[in-house]
Amino acid sequence: MSAILEVHNLAKSYGNFDAVKGISFEIHEGEIFSLLGPNGAGKTTTISMLSTLYTPTSGEATICGYSITNDTMAVKKCIGVVPQDLALYEDLSARENLSFWGQMYGLSGKSLKIRIDEVLEQIGLLDKAKLKVKTYSGGMKRRVNIGVGLLHQPRLLFMDEPTVGIDPQSRRAILDSVKDLNKNGMTVLYTTHYMEEAEELSNRVGIIDHGDLIAIGSQEELTKSVGETDTLILHVGEETNPETLAEEVRKIKGVLKAEVTDHQVSIITPTAEELLAQVVTHANNLGIKIKSIDIREPNLEAVFLNLTGRALRD
Amino acid sequence: MKKILAIIFKDTLVRFTSPIEWVFFLVLPIIFTVVIGASSGPSGDDRVNMIVVDQANNSLSETLITSLESSSSIKIEIREIEDANSALEQKKISSVLIIPENFNQQSLVSQNAELELQQLPNNTEALIAQQAVQAVLSRVSSVVDIANGSVARAESLPGFKFESEAALQVFFDSSLEKAQTLLADSPNRIIEEKGKTKDSVEFDPRSNASAGQLITWVFIPLIGLSGSFAYERQKGTLRRLLTTPTSKGLFLTGTIIGQVMTAIVQMLLLVLFGIFVMKLNWAQAPMALAVMLISSALAAAALGTMVGTFVKTESQANGLSIMIGMVMALMGGCWYPLELFPQTVQQIVKVLPTTWAMQGLLDIVLRGQGLTSILPEAGVLLGFTLIFMIIGIVRFKYE
Repeated sequence: MSAILEVHNLAKSYGNFDAVKGISFEIHEGEIFSLLGPNGAGKTTTISMLSTLYTPTSGEATICGYSITNDTMAVKKCIGVVPQDLALYEDLSARENLSFWGQMYGLSGKSLKIRIDEVLEQIGLLDKAKLKVKTYSGGMKRRVNIGVGLLHQPRLLFMDEPTVGIDPQSRRAILDSVKDLNKNGMTVLYTTHYMEEAEELSNRVGIIDHGDLIAIGSQEELTKSVGETDTLILHVGEETNPETLAEEVRKIKGVLKAEVTDHQVSIITPTAEELLAQVVTHANNLGIKIKSIDIREPNLEAVFLNLTGRALRD
Repeated sequence: MKKILAIIFKDTLVRFTSPIEWVFFLVLPIIFTVVIGASSGPSGDDRVNMIVVDQANNSLSETLITSLESSSSIKIEIREIEDANSALEQKKISSVLIIPENFNQQSLVSQNAELELQQLPNNTEALIAQQAVQAVLSRVSSVVDIANGSVARAESLPGFKFESEAALQVFFDSSLEKAQTLLADSPNRIIEEKGKTKDSVEFDPRSNASAGQLITWVFIPLIGLSGSFAYERQKGTLRRLLTTPTSKGLFLTGTIIGQVMTAIVQMLLLVLFGIFVMKLNWAQAPMALAVMLISSALAAAALGTMVGTFVKTESQANGLSIMIGMVMALMGGCWYPLELFPQTVQQIVKVLPTTWAMQGLLDIVLRGQGLTSILPEAGVLLGFTLIFMIIGIVRFKYE
């Protein structure tokens, strides 16, 4: 597969703050590539540079063979962008919004009308197209927000955390629509801080933290990197201090890492089931009440924890 | 070009999506034009009302009433005593003048004549009526003095004697009438002369209101262009727009042209209202009018673009544009004629585009001048446009 996006040492700094620190990766035509990382990791800054909104401090990237710094108009014609915020005119209807944005992408006349109907069909709002966007539910607004990015049938679609702040049903619909778009040949760059979304959607994942791309590969490749380890997750009562439990657990033989997030202790170990009894005993000795216990097989969460020492929610 | 039209169409849809926008676009400007034009112009009869009860019913009381009727400060109504008392009790009137039965020549000569003036306490109108009555009474006394003098002179003639009291009364009445006529025809002491200089144009409050309200209600939404930019930034639509194959310059051009075109339509509607309803002289120089409307709208839109670079949110922009628009309109002579301001203020307000817009429009609608006369004002407005636009574009924030 040929690369539709190639990024070489791309960096963006604001004064002394390095938002993105010279990252390199490529996306192949027809794949879904996820940039996974916590809030503030540099995902939106990366997308902003790739969509030509920000000029990189250093480095270069090409999209569809065009430079993001020298051929901005050609790049813009090749990409579609679904921003994190609802960038819509809420006093206009969905059809009026699509009509305006379609014209901004250079569509007009009959071809514009046809594309608007197709997109409305695709996002399931054909029968509500004349209603003002402000009357829509949060999920419906998200769908219009995505629809705008699809109007001109871009070869590469950037989706910047499109499921933030919506109900599970709408989230499910959006994830399904991303898969459908990809089935129809669209390449997608998807940013998220939800591990489950990256796992479900992506052919390959790039893990980004503090502006660094710290790992890249398929889900299988990434989970292999942490070895045959499980993640033992203890949910403890709010009145207790989980840090004391983590300190004790770290002393147990076979525990590779033990980290605390909110009222949760995540333990990475190759022998989760065997350690379970010891961990519960320590908790009882410390007077810490365990509310529930999960044992998870290697996943991206474990990869992130292994690489950064922090959970994705941090 | 298609993209510019699309931006203009979208902005128009967004602006007029709420019916309330029409109130600000057309209804309020027309109402303010009519109300201010009428209230600052010459009104009808603004004299103070007073009731007069004539219990004397003689020639002297008639003379007094005639003099009161010709007063420029009071407007009298003859009523019976019961009606007068009732009106005063109900505070429908501020003063009642009662001319008693014994009000005649003799009582006046013997200084026994007493008029009764009933007034509402602490009332300015009653005070005005009192002063007017005193002035009229003074004039009537002069006339009576002259008539009495005539009677005395006639009686002093050797061998002359009035045949009867009735003959004396006829002579007195005749003298009274002649004295009144002569005093009324006395030469003016103040000479009023119309000026012949450039400033001799007669002030028409309706023209002033039409031009002033046109500028006020068009400048405010155009300065509100700053709110439009803030809205696009806040909603993220500007950021999204810049990820499409649309340049920053095209966005600015489309947005500004759209607002200017809407403003010109609004101004034309207000001008048409002025021509067809208020019968004003807007149509006498169409080319000059077009130049003034376009240059005014451009200056205001450029100001809005510049203001937009100093605000962060749409609500900040809206508040600031209303404040700037109202102050500029007020100081630019849009609500009151600039001539009412002190000379220093008249010089200072030349830094405002509204001052120049107002003077240019008054040149057309009030002074009946043409294209050549308004070129300096239009030139200054285009200068403002250039300065504001350069600052606005240089400082423009896309995020």
